[in-house]
Amino acid sequence: MKSLGSIRRSFAPWADPAAKPYILFENVTKKFGDFVAVDDLSLSLFEREFFALLGASGCGKSTLLRMLAGFEEPTSGRILLDGQDLRGIPPYRRPVNMMFQSYALFPHMTVEQNIAFGLKQDGMPKPEIAERVGAMLKLVKLEPFARRKPHQLSGGQRQRVALARSLAKRPKVLLLDEPLGALDKKLREETQFELMDLQQELGLTFIVVTHDQEEAMTMADRIAIMDRGTVKQVATPAEIYEAPNSRFVADFVGSVNLFEGQVSSAGNGAMTIASNGFAIRSANGSEAGTGSTVWFAIRPEKIRVASRKPVGAEANAIEGEVYDIAYLGDMTIYHIRLDDGRIVKASTMNSARVSEDVLTWNDRAWISFDRDAGVVLTA
Amino acid sequence: MSGKGLLLATTVLATAVSFGASAQDRVVNVYNWSDYIDESIIEDFTKETGIKVVYDVFDSNEILETKLLAGGTGYDIVVPTGTFLARQIQAGVFQKLDKSKLPNISNMWDMIQERTEKYDPGNDYSINYMWGTTGIGYNVEKVKEALGIDRIDSWDVVFNPDNLAKLADCGVYMLDAPAEMIPAALNYLGENPDGKSAEEIAKAEELLLSIRPHIRKFHSSEYINALANGDICLAVGWSGDVFQARDRAAEADQGVTVDYSIPKGGAQMWFDQMAIPADAKHVEEAHEFLNYIMRPEVIAKASNYVFYANGNKASQEFLDEEVIGDPAVYPDEETMAKLFTTTPPNPREQRLMTRAWTKVVTGQ
Amino acid sequence: MADLLAPATETASASARARPGMARMIRNALLGRMVIVVPYLWLLVFFLVPFLIVFKISLSTTAIAMPPYTPTFGFEDGISGLIAKFGEMSLDNYVWLTEDALYFNAYVSSIVIAAVSTMITLIVGFPVAYGMARAPASLRPTLLMLVILPFWTSFLIRVYAWIGILKPEGLLNQFLLFVGIIDEPLIILNTHTAIFIGIVYSYLPFMVLPLYSSLEKMDYSLIEAAQDLGCPPITAFWKITFPLALPGVLAGCLLVFIPAVGEFVIPDLLGGSQTLMIGKTLWNEFFNNRDWPVSSAVAVILLLILVVPIMLFQQAQARAQEKGR
Repeated sequence: MKSLGSIRRSFAPWADPAAKPYILFENVTKKFGDFVAVDDLSLSLFEREFFALLGASGCGKSTLLRMLAGFEEPTSGRILLDGQDLRGIPPYRRPVNMMFQSYALFPHMTVEQNIAFGLKQDGMPKPEIAERVGAMLKLVKLEPFARRKPHQLSGGQRQRVALARSLAKRPKVLLLDEPLGALDKKLREETQFELMDLQQELGLTFIVVTHDQEEAMTMADRIAIMDRGTVKQVATPAEIYEAPNSRFVADFVGSVNLFEGQVSSAGNGAMTIASNGFAIRSANGSEAGTGSTVWFAIRPEKIRVASRKPVGAEANAIEGEVYDIAYLGDMTIYHIRLDDGRIVKASTMNSARVSEDVLTWNDRAWISFDRDAGVVLTA
Repeated sequence: MSGKGLLLATTVLATAVSFGASAQDRVVNVYNWSDYIDESIIEDFTKETGIKVVYDVFDSNEILETKLLAGGTGYDIVVPTGTFLARQIQAGVFQKLDKSKLPNISNMWDMIQERTEKYDPGNDYSINYMWGTTGIGYNVEKVKEALGIDRIDSWDVVFNPDNLAKLADCGVYMLDAPAEMIPAALNYLGENPDGKSAEEIAKAEELLLSIRPHIRKFHSSEYINALANGDICLAVGWSGDVFQARDRAAEADQGVTVDYSIPKGGAQMWFDQMAIPADAKHVEEAHEFLNYIMRPEVIAKASNYVFYANGNKASQEFLDEEVIGDPAVYPDEETMAKLFTTTPPNPREQRLMTRAWTKVVTGQ
Repeated sequence: MADLLAPATETASASARARPGMARMIRNALLGRMVIVVPYLWLLVFFLVPFLIVFKISLSTTAIAMPPYTPTFGFEDGISGLIAKFGEMSLDNYVWLTEDALYFNAYVSSIVIAAVSTMITLIVGFPVAYGMARAPASLRPTLLMLVILPFWTSFLIRVYAWIGILKPEGLLNQFLLFVGIIDEPLIILNTHTAIFIGIVYSYLPFMVLPLYSSLEKMDYSLIEAAQDLGCPPITAFWKITFPLALPGVLAGCLLVFIPAVGEFVIPDLLGGSQTLMIGKTLWNEFFNNRDWPVSSAVAVILLLILVVPIMLFQQAQARAQEKGR
């Protein structure tokens, strides 16, 4: 079978019906007064998975994480970790550790003391603590800073201390609440890969909460898109991007063009959609019957732009006018206004330094896309 | 006098009397104890003489003395108690009175004058305003309950530990004032109440230490409230304060009856004396005020208002019967003969007394 | 280094440019100095000068005069007279303080009473401050207001009110008798207990406010982090909350301890007569013995005793500042 996206995965326990979930949220609801933060949510996570909870602020992703850590108890439903119901177990007895968004480093302790804190709490013998702390410092490359206090460190160094501290106890699951949120862009990108390597190396289960879709796409094995206390879609980054299950998900992750229309004919998995007088032919159909309203979703990079009508009857092609151009260096984004007034975004890689077919503002232009370039959404 | 002459005289007077204030606003600054005068007296004085009275009040000799010793108080008349007055005279705080300006001094009571001479030899610096005694204030019902007596008439209740022990539970307060309590103790022991030698003070200390366990508190003003509220059954205190407690208890009408006793064995007298500070700015007006106060009708009015005895013999015919007829205010002659006074101690004696008293109060 | 050099060259060129404006420059320089001098001037006038006056009196001898000590300084005898007067001063009053155990005992007793009261205030004040700091942000101004509210009534009246509460027939005893916890009234008024109650009550705001300000700054996620790393709440309190609140604890303790040592009104009204405190001793010296020099010596020693904790506090603050917190 053709794989979506460019990565072929060997680690995919979620695809195996026999695999036992490691963490299980069962119909979990959490209310704060009248406000429903998490609404009847069910979710399965697997051992050694790097899982991302992605959503806008207030969508309930942090609440979900805090319930797992034990700082909040579900109003109803239950959470199982490795088969054990977590209800009533206080945070200090749960085999999970959390890396806080603010890092929550103890300001009156040195880097060493911060990392050793949890180990001392467990009554680990001193030599072992020293050894473990040393290993952790090495892991996050902070050996020279062992004796410093948190305020003497840079933001990136603090982030590493927080990471080392939460990893020191070898938790079964590491929870990361916006772990890279406070870092600048360049450092954030570097750290993303470090986190992935670390997770691979230690063989732990990571759950990361983030509002940054790029971060989630980069690091996670699977992503859960959350909105208003519910999970909209759980899938691999490629599936989320290439096969979103709703307009919400399609729109939330990346950029998308949505053509609203009615199914005019369907068969053999393909369908034709009548959208404002155009007939969009799609190779990927849906369950929707003839006459029902659907949306054809297509990413800008899957749309070609040309000054002449493309040759070949296979592709969909619509005429319009160049409304706006944004040159980003590696690519150019065109906003094409179709003759019926709709605006379509299309991006083109600038794979050659000089292009022959140059378009400029107000030029007539044709957009075209393949039949299998988009998906049909019913919701 | 012609109009022109009057104008001239006024101008001369204004120049002569003061640099700042003009003759038209003549002023006298009086610093007296709080609640110690019928205010109509002040109004009458101003009406009659045209002298404006700036009347300010204090409630402790110590505060007054500190101000006087620091100097520059701005007061023209102050009213310290005799024992304090004596030292203040030595310190040079006051000026001698010009008796030619005080014709009413002839109204004064020789019996009081003789005694105030101990503090103010020749009565050169002060005139008596009011006087009283240091005796026993008590809650009539509670004392009857504890001791089975209707009224207290002897120091035996206080200075005999067996008696005082019976009152300890319902509460005994004592003045926190060595100058009052050491003479009272010496008097009870049959010693000279004015004794100040180390041996005499030691004797008083011994007696006071023997009753100390039965005393709930040493304090010089708290007993007014405590007696009035019925919180305690006995306090050694000043007559005027006990009268205040008696009146308050009567007003509150909560079944508390407070009475005052001058014990048969004798009690110390106190005298509040009016004097003029050496640096007073309105000496003339101050004398006029003092002379006015010594008018029999005026000082009688004050006594009728505050229920204290005054040192003005001529005023006695103007006194209300409930004042002159109260043996706690005006004791009979037999009791009067047993009342005693003390002379002020020198600094060394003062220190001995204070130290002995600290031991009595704190046990240290 | 470059930063330091820049203004110097600027000034040099300025003086070269505007030679006639010399007076203005001097004036500006003086004005600049003034800004620095003002706080020192304040300390000089309102702290150092009064202290020196008290210190000077403590070296004098008591006298029956106005003012009641000698020598007094004036220029009536010329400079030589003034110098002669310096010779009259001595440390006798300080020697006197060592000769009678009363003073030592009074200092010790005051410090003990103040220390015990401070500890109780801390124990009572910490949960209050903690509760306030953890309360919803919208509620906090109201809570702060409630803490400060008692200051709107006279301190004296509030202490008097405690007499009404604590006396044998008072509200507390009536309540306890009514509930049946006790069979006969507790004697609280005029005991050490009453002094502790009075001091703790009166100074509680001075403890709560600095504690609140240091607890409020604290990030609650630190507690969560500690719990997450295996700390039960009590341990988290001792390992995280308390150490971080330490500057507030220190400030609060000093704000309570220092005035409590010299407290006069509360022991006078609520305490028993057997309570020996330095405030009362000083009062006796000043008002009963009228011995201004000895009472000044008592005050100077008291100040020295209090300066030590103040200096410790400042050092701690300087250290904390150095840490950048």
